[in-house]
Amino acid sequence: MTTKTIYDFYKLLENDNISFSYRGGFTNNVLTTATQLFKENIGEEHSKLKNKLSFLMIESFQNISRYSEQEGTDILEDTSEFFMTRNVGDTFYIISANLIDNDKIPTVKEKLERVNTLDKSELNKLYREVLTNKQISEKGGAGLGFIEMVRKTKGKLPFDFVKVDEKQSMFFMQIELKNPKVDDGLEPLPLSDAKFVQEIVADENILMMHKGDFSKEAVGPMLRMVEENMQNVSLKVHKKIFHFLVEILQNISKHAYPINNKREGIFQIGFDDNKFHIGTGNFIAKDEVANLKNQIEMVNSKTKEELNELYRKYLREGKSTKTGSAGLGLIDLARETTDKINFEFIEINNNYSFFSLTVNF
Amino acid sequence: MLEPIILEITKTTPEIILDKDNNVFKISGRAIIENSQEFFNPIISWFEEYFKKPNSKTELTLNIDYLNSSSSLFLMKIFVLFEQNINTNNKIIWMYDASDDLIKERGEEYKLLTKLNFELKETINEDYEDFNFDI
Repeated sequence: MTTKTIYDFYKLLENDNISFSYRGGFTNNVLTTATQLFKENIGEEHSKLKNKLSFLMIESFQNISRYSEQEGTDILEDTSEFFMTRNVGDTFYIISANLIDNDKIPTVKEKLERVNTLDKSELNKLYREVLTNKQISEKGGAGLGFIEMVRKTKGKLPFDFVKVDEKQSMFFMQIELKNPKVDDGLEPLPLSDAKFVQEIVADENILMMHKGDFSKEAVGPMLRMVEENMQNVSLKVHKKIFHFLVEILQNISKHAYPINNKREGIFQIGFDDNKFHIGTGNFIAKDEVANLKNQIEMVNSKTKEELNELYRKYLREGKSTKTGSAGLGLIDLARETTDKINFEFIEINNNYSFFSLTVNF
Repeated sequence: MLEPIILEITKTTPEIILDKDNNVFKISGRAIIENSQEFFNPIISWFEEYFKKPNSKTELTLNIDYLNSSSSLFLMKIFVLFEQNINTNNKIIWMYDASDDLIKERGEEYKLLTKLNFELKETINEDYEDFNFDI
């Protein structure tokens, strides 16, 4: 994960009002927190979709576990399962990806093709048939989940199988939920967009990604998600992650440059080479760049000892900036990380720049 | 008479018990509130008032499980008040879980920075592994 990746990722999701992706073992906790994240952070105009969205997220999750060949329960286990929810314009997208045995593909494909070609009354008929005939497949379902998804969204389910090896393929599926009250006139995002995101998070070893308005209550669900899925990580690492997340995310919510009343930001957590990587990106006012740059360069130039001294001095003197304790938070971040703080400023226009930061520990 | 401050624990603020009559002074839980000033200012004012006529013995027990940097500053302010009234037989007890290095280090840092009677007290909390991140 580099500062450049953060910006590229942000650009990729630029039009997303909110997006969240997760790669790792899937547990109900992930589901609970992902639905919570969306419930608490989606725009007022979409509030009526909340229940439907939760329902579809649950269906999508269950679909992953139903067809998945893996039984990972921990985010750090090597797994290819992927889940993403995003809102662009008036549409919500729920994308799932998991490994499936090649010999199961024809059955799944047939079910999906069937629901994708039926109209509303045919779907209802099929739904009743499946319920009454109880033709339950060995993994339970008989495509009932797919039928429900199509009935609830009144749309199609784009899907794809990407061959991994002789035994398995990656099964991608996208649910699209459009808000009937709002029309953005946009074409729906193709499934290939989500596949591209999945490719990047897999290549970069990104476990979790969230893009949205950080002035809202995004921190809680994120922290909980990290916690619930890192059961094999020591308490010390837990606390460090928590510590960094609170400081960094609160920093974004305080200092990000507001665009259309939103403090947009992106947050990623990755695990690679036995280290955790946290990366964030957000806009900052151009006249704050020089000061922030100086501050980071200052803490980067100091040894851990010097940072400890500086931290204690600031703490003792109660030194804080007008907006809070930016200085103290930054020193604290620097003294707790294993490497220097990486950062980059990319000038966007005369008013603001994009600021990305990564820390390792 | 100084009215006690009793605040229940929340997802972002600690439990506070400042009760002069019963001689109980406690801060427990997490302090990760963004607007820490709003939360801590009344507490600092309370102690300022309290030290005008303190009890014969004042023991403030802190049992913190997480502290953000702006809250650390306000804790320091409380400790500075204790320091200014060091002749009033006061003491800080900083509890930390045996497995929690971060909070232990924070306590050591405060101890180092103040001239207070500052006791670091290790506890073993069996539930601690279930440290709850739900805020």
